[in-house]
Amino acid sequence: MENEVQGGRPPEKNEAGNSEAVIEFRDVTYSYDENSAPAVRGVSLCVKKGEFLAVIGHNGSGKSTLARLTNALLLPDEGTVTVFGMNTLEGKNPVDIRRRVGMVFQNPDNQMVASIIEDDVAFGPENLGVERGEIGRRIESSLKAVGMEAYRTGTPSRLSGGQKQRVAIAGVLAIKPDVLILDESTAMLDPRGRREVMEVVARLNREEGMTVMLITHFMEEALLADRTIVMNRGEIVMEGTPADIFLHSERLEPYNLSLPRIGVICKTIQKAGIPVKDCLEPETLAEEIDKEVDARNAKRVSLPYIPAPVKETTHEWDIDVKDLTFTYSAKSPFASRALNGIDLHISEGEFFGIIGHTGSGKSTLVQHLNALIKLPQAQKKYRPKKVKKGQPAPVLPQIRVGSFDLADKKCDFVKLRESVGMVFQYPEYQLFAETVAEDVAFGLKNFRKGITKEQTEEAVRAALEMVGLDYAEVKDKSPFDLSGGQKRRVAIAGVIVTRPHILILDEPAAGLDPLGKKEIMELLHKLHREWCSTVMIVSHDMDEIADNCTTAAVISEGRVVYCASPRELFANAAELDALGLDVPLTAKACGKLREYGVTIDTDFTCEDFSQKVVSLFAGGERDA
Amino acid sequence: MLNDVTFGQYYPASSCIHDLDPRTKLLFLIVYIVMLFVAQTFYGMLLCLALLLATVALARVPFGSVLRSVKGILFILVLTSVLNIFFHGGEHVLVDLGAASITRESLVFTVFLLLRLFLLVMASAVLTLTTTPVRLTDGLESLLTPLKWIKVPVHELAMVMSIALRFIPTLIDETNRIIAAQKARGADFESGNIFRRVKAVVPILIPLLISAFRRADELGDAMDARCYSGSKNRTRYKKLRFSAGDLVALFVAAALVAGVVLFNEYAAQIWPQIYEYIVIK
Repeated sequence: MENEVQGGRPPEKNEAGNSEAVIEFRDVTYSYDENSAPAVRGVSLCVKKGEFLAVIGHNGSGKSTLARLTNALLLPDEGTVTVFGMNTLEGKNPVDIRRRVGMVFQNPDNQMVASIIEDDVAFGPENLGVERGEIGRRIESSLKAVGMEAYRTGTPSRLSGGQKQRVAIAGVLAIKPDVLILDESTAMLDPRGRREVMEVVARLNREEGMTVMLITHFMEEALLADRTIVMNRGEIVMEGTPADIFLHSERLEPYNLSLPRIGVICKTIQKAGIPVKDCLEPETLAEEIDKEVDARNAKRVSLPYIPAPVKETTHEWDIDVKDLTFTYSAKSPFASRALNGIDLHISEGEFFGIIGHTGSGKSTLVQHLNALIKLPQAQKKYRPKKVKKGQPAPVLPQIRVGSFDLADKKCDFVKLRESVGMVFQYPEYQLFAETVAEDVAFGLKNFRKGITKEQTEEAVRAALEMVGLDYAEVKDKSPFDLSGGQKRRVAIAGVIVTRPHILILDEPAAGLDPLGKKEIMELLHKLHREWCSTVMIVSHDMDEIADNCTTAAVISEGRVVYCASPRELFANAAELDALGLDVPLTAKACGKLREYGVTIDTDFTCEDFSQKVVSLFAGGERDA
Repeated sequence: MLNDVTFGQYYPASSCIHDLDPRTKLLFLIVYIVMLFVAQTFYGMLLCLALLLATVALARVPFGSVLRSVKGILFILVLTSVLNIFFHGGEHVLVDLGAASITRESLVFTVFLLLRLFLLVMASAVLTLTTTPVRLTDGLESLLTPLKWIKVPVHELAMVMSIALRFIPTLIDETNRIIAAQKARGADFESGNIFRRVKAVVPILIPLLISAFRRADELGDAMDARCYSGSKNRTRYKKLRFSAGDLVALFVAAALVAGVVLFNEYAAQIWPQIYEYIVIK
């Protein structure tokens, strides 16, 4: 039986299949405290040996609680959880369960115990009393399994998120568990990191026969699983193969889940009466479209792209960056060059995107724009270097934002920061005040000394309403009692309350579930229309850039490699690929279609792409 | 900001000093510091100085970074020197200011004291520059093991310390991020009187505390999930080991002790004419 599992994946067809159940939930209910609604309610579930199970659900649907009940981090209030025949309630020692059910958590930084990778991987086996030689072998084999063997003696602080998370998986593998649970382990990663982790997990499942329970809110990841369950308000509301769930995608909406982008495109095209099959990959979508084009003898060139009208501006708030260079911890053995001669012009009125890998210098660049990092000439201690005769004067970086000259010591940096709002990554972690209203008013009181109570209240009300929160309802609440998405909105309100002309956001949608992401992007467009003339987002999600930005700059190794509209940018898919950057799936599909001789002229947003595909078929069938 | 603080100031390099067992280095430092206080003559002090310079050279650490460690105590150094020069007293008065006076003895004593403090701080810096915090904790845990007999939770303390060391860079990053975010909202941490400045810290401190608790929570779960249950039945992957280099180091320490003690005894005979100027009484 076991050989069967380790070989090709036998698809389990029925409940009475011949696979052994490793985890069994029976009518399990759990609540965090007596007064609150149960986080998990009456759940019955059975996980088979060698199975790859995905659990999806929006934030707060109870999926993480489910994971914690599985390895006895939590114990059920009602019902039973049985793991390898051990009831978690009766077990004298939770270690017996945990050594068989390994768990990887969300934040890679918070699960590393040691400052050196091999020491961290050794932590689990050390706890189990494994002898030294064997620990060494386990470190080697688990790091190999996640492809991190080259980093064995390194420190985690210099790794990317994806690499850190792979090390965390290695740390769990070193315990030699039979089941691997990933509790939203990809939520905080960039797309590349997410792919790295998912590849490792899929391989472990396929090749090593590891039972996997993947908790996620990304539909894309659930597609890799054998079976998917959907959770909502602590209950299992749907169950089936990923393809099943996909087919009934309209049922997902009430559960705050959204289809992957590609699914949305398929549905739009289908709705227009073109029967493409549901696809999971852009390449297959292209194939499907080509098949239909052939079958119906449709046009091979889409309608031309019509650029959207440009927002009229006075160019009063243009941003100009020249020769910007920056080194962290200069003159120390840890010096690292973050920016290496950035030249960039951002016109007022843009919805500007900055793309690049973790560590490419994106965040460092934007922190210059409101002088959180001051140019060297603008620092108090700066004295110009004496230039020897015959030598050219050194090139100094220059930044202008609107009428502010950031190279000038006398520049009014406070005024600048009022005009250039900056929302950092995970801005909800910077909330501090007792009430929402006080927190939002913080910036206002700093920038406008002597503002009256009424004016403050009015501005706070406007800002909170702008981000879609009910002023009367939230103003006296503690910001820490709000949900994740609401906290982020409050944090954004705290920046826009001073009505900045330029709003810069570093990964505004990071860590949110798909619906949350969509809402935040809608909010930014609303702000762009009504309040801020320029909006800049830093992102590593190409689809997000393609769908939202008017212009985007690609930063790689501290330089601007490209700066163009998404339409021009993603036409060079091959060049972006060479930089190790992804392209949006619409660009992938277009590339493939071009190979088939079908031209789609689009700006690569999902919406426009689907329309342009549909336009191939418009106007009746044509003779060749 | 805190950007340039590289905690523990470890200087990565490969040298025989870096490779020494941390326990050797800790013991050596203790012996060295004791000797700084045992030494009563400049001969002994010069011996200590020579040893420090030789170690720095062997460790391939830039002398500048060793010297910089003194910056932190500069104020104390200046203060104590001034006090000592004027108030130490002595027989051979050079400048008489009534209540205070500069004497030959006070000058000798001040120079001696300065050397002593300088060497003490610099020697400690050499230890932290050449030893990673992790190895330092391991060394401490190992040296303190005997305390387990009197029920001191040595393992737990060492675990707490190593986790703290692991999270310090993370929390420094976080602090920098919070400071930047609040500055972007117009917070001013640099001006105003002491009360205003203390108040200005609240928007940094609260998010930082909340974040630390959140991290601690998650870390606790992660440690549980990886079967941590205290020191019982726990094995160690990395064992500290003494090597030939450590033996040499211990010989050098013994030689230092012998040298300092002998100089204390026989300094008068080496060059009797200057004896008065090189000894503190």
